[in-house]
Amino acid sequence: MSAATRTRRNDHAGRGASVLVAGLASAFGVVLLQVTSMIGTIVSASGMTDVGAVRTALDLVAFLFIAIAVYVSAIVTTNTVATIIAGRTRTIALMRLIGSSARAQRRVVATDGLTVGAIGAVAGALIGTLLSFAGLRMLVATGVLPDLDYTLIEPLLALPVAVVVLSTWAAAWVGSRRVLGVSPMQAVGAAEERSREDTVRRPARTVIAVLLMGAGILLLAGGVVVGQVAPEGVLLGLLGGILSFSGLVLGSHLIMPPILALAGRVLGGSAPARLAAANAQRHPERSARATIGLVIGVTLITMFAVAGSTFEVMMQRTMEDPVLQAAISETVATSLAVISVLVGFSALIAAVGMVNNLAQSVLQRSREIGLLRALGFTATQVRWMILAESLQMAAAAVAFGLVLGVFYGWAAAQSLFGAVTMGGLTAPAVPWLLVVGCVVGTVLLAVAATLVPARRAVSVAPVTALAAA
Amino acid sequence: METTPSDLGLAARVTHLGKTYGSSSTAVTALDDVSIGIRRGQFTAIMGPSGSGKSTLMHIMAGLDTATSGQAWLGDTEISGLADAALTVLRRRRIGFIFQAFNLVPTLDVRGNILLPFSLDGRKPTSAESDWIAQLTESLGLGDRLTHRPHELSGGQQQRVAIARALATRPELVFADEPTGNLDSRTGREVLTLLKAASTGYGQTIAMVTHDPVAASYADRILFLADGRLVEDRDKSSAEEISRIMLGMEQRA
Repeated sequence: MSAATRTRRNDHAGRGASVLVAGLASAFGVVLLQVTSMIGTIVSASGMTDVGAVRTALDLVAFLFIAIAVYVSAIVTTNTVATIIAGRTRTIALMRLIGSSARAQRRVVATDGLTVGAIGAVAGALIGTLLSFAGLRMLVATGVLPDLDYTLIEPLLALPVAVVVLSTWAAAWVGSRRVLGVSPMQAVGAAEERSREDTVRRPARTVIAVLLMGAGILLLAGGVVVGQVAPEGVLLGLLGGILSFSGLVLGSHLIMPPILALAGRVLGGSAPARLAAANAQRHPERSARATIGLVIGVTLITMFAVAGSTFEVMMQRTMEDPVLQAAISETVATSLAVISVLVGFSALIAAVGMVNNLAQSVLQRSREIGLLRALGFTATQVRWMILAESLQMAAAAVAFGLVLGVFYGWAAAQSLFGAVTMGGLTAPAVPWLLVVGCVVGTVLLAVAATLVPARRAVSVAPVTALAAA
Repeated sequence: METTPSDLGLAARVTHLGKTYGSSSTAVTALDDVSIGIRRGQFTAIMGPSGSGKSTLMHIMAGLDTATSGQAWLGDTEISGLADAALTVLRRRRIGFIFQAFNLVPTLDVRGNILLPFSLDGRKPTSAESDWIAQLTESLGLGDRLTHRPHELSGGQQQRVAIARALATRPELVFADEPTGNLDSRTGREVLTLLKAASTGYGQTIAMVTHDPVAASYADRILFLADGRLVEDRDKSSAEEISRIMLGMEQRA
């Protein structure tokens, strides 16, 4: 395979993932709004008077989850674009060498992001609408839903589509920042990898991240304290949660590498495992971005589940009536199921990003893999190395997300309902089924993520290593 | 009884080796009936212009590529029929590699790179092997560099790490593919002197592919390839003589 075709395949793979991510986010938004509209139609047919208020409330909830999905997909796209550019450094340097300006090069990447976002968003919206339509017809035909005059297509649908296009464009713009750092000289000599020290030393970002986290945690603690006397504590807590979590995402390039290292140590000391551990930490920023999406997803799922379960425990302590207790348990269970599905979709988008990151990194490392093969790495060892990398990233993300989710969920329940129990702090209730589900999901995801990259890695001929640079 | 390669004092041997790429109408012949032996303990250079088949020959002898016809042995093992897994283990335990582009693993430090052949094999060096590696790193001037990562080293230092890695397991045969191609001439001479010393001092068998007459002049024996055939087999020669032979080959072509 020549360098040119390899580069082309690189671009292609990255673009495919971005289209998929934009499509998933857009389809999710469109379907969610359509379901909201269906519920509105059913509610208004049932003769309720305050239909407008119900619809507004539902739309608000829908947009909250759409915002989460768009946020996660923007992180994933930024990462994908940055990864592609890292692999295309030489091509960009060559273009710079023969006279193209860095800004023109960056514009190409951003414009590409706009195209990708538009294609993905429109395709996602179409497929989402088709799914909604088919689902609705099926539910009406089987008699689950009444046969009413549903409107699936409404102007509001343009909003998630537009948001996805714009966010993909913006993400491509942010991700393409690296283009500016490519020197024309890199086309002449061998491109040096940015060392870990270079990437980690970004003082302004670190300071902001630490400030956000510090302020957020203080507010969160304040929320829990205030929550013991008044439910308004949740407002403090919410602000604290958003601030501290933003700080966490911003500082992920500092937080994730040690967690990844810890996860790597669990994999053992065999050569493939040690190489995998080193690889996952080789580009701290990149692996941080690849995993932070999954961290966000797992944190949100866990947070809602722990908040719900803790709320359930608190309520049952204050209520003696078993009928009421059962009713609360049922409400909590139903809401949690719905919320898990809604947030789970964002986790899926994050997973796509992680898979793509792994695939890209294998493509960009074919020379190194060739070297290992030449020195006597068996195909099985190569496969295990890729699997270990994937396991390490997924495990680190899920473990961290679980810890964060338990903390945030508990803080949310305390600040919102603490006043109701008047019995001091309640320990966080962790639904263990969820933990097991997350762990199983992680292993499945990690294994599935390696299928394609591992096949590619194994097909790298040992001779690749001997080709001149 | 058949004579084995090791009876002949050969570390590796190929007989009637042929290699063609592509199918009938567009076939390109890279090797055409090549028979050679690499003598044990010697530093052998394989020379030839671009496209002479010298790289293909090395790839087949090192178990990285398969021949279209003919046989190849490493020691007494016939490798022409071996499957990928067996070839992998063979490369790991019995062959060392030195590349033009150094090819160190960027995520491992110098020590990790030198010990890589052992960790790939899932074992730790024995105490005798550890002593050997310590002696090796000392003589290559890497003693105070063991915790450095490849990007912190100069080209010459990186190539010395690669030499240490190739010699660490005391393989039956070390292949060097244009080992001085990415180095300035002074550093290149240092590397060649080190290879020569490994051969005379430790009896290490080395086969070096190169098109540089100066590099080839360090070898005990020089094999010349042109158009996929062996055309000359010389004992130690000066760079001038080697250049003359190369020029003669160009003019005949």
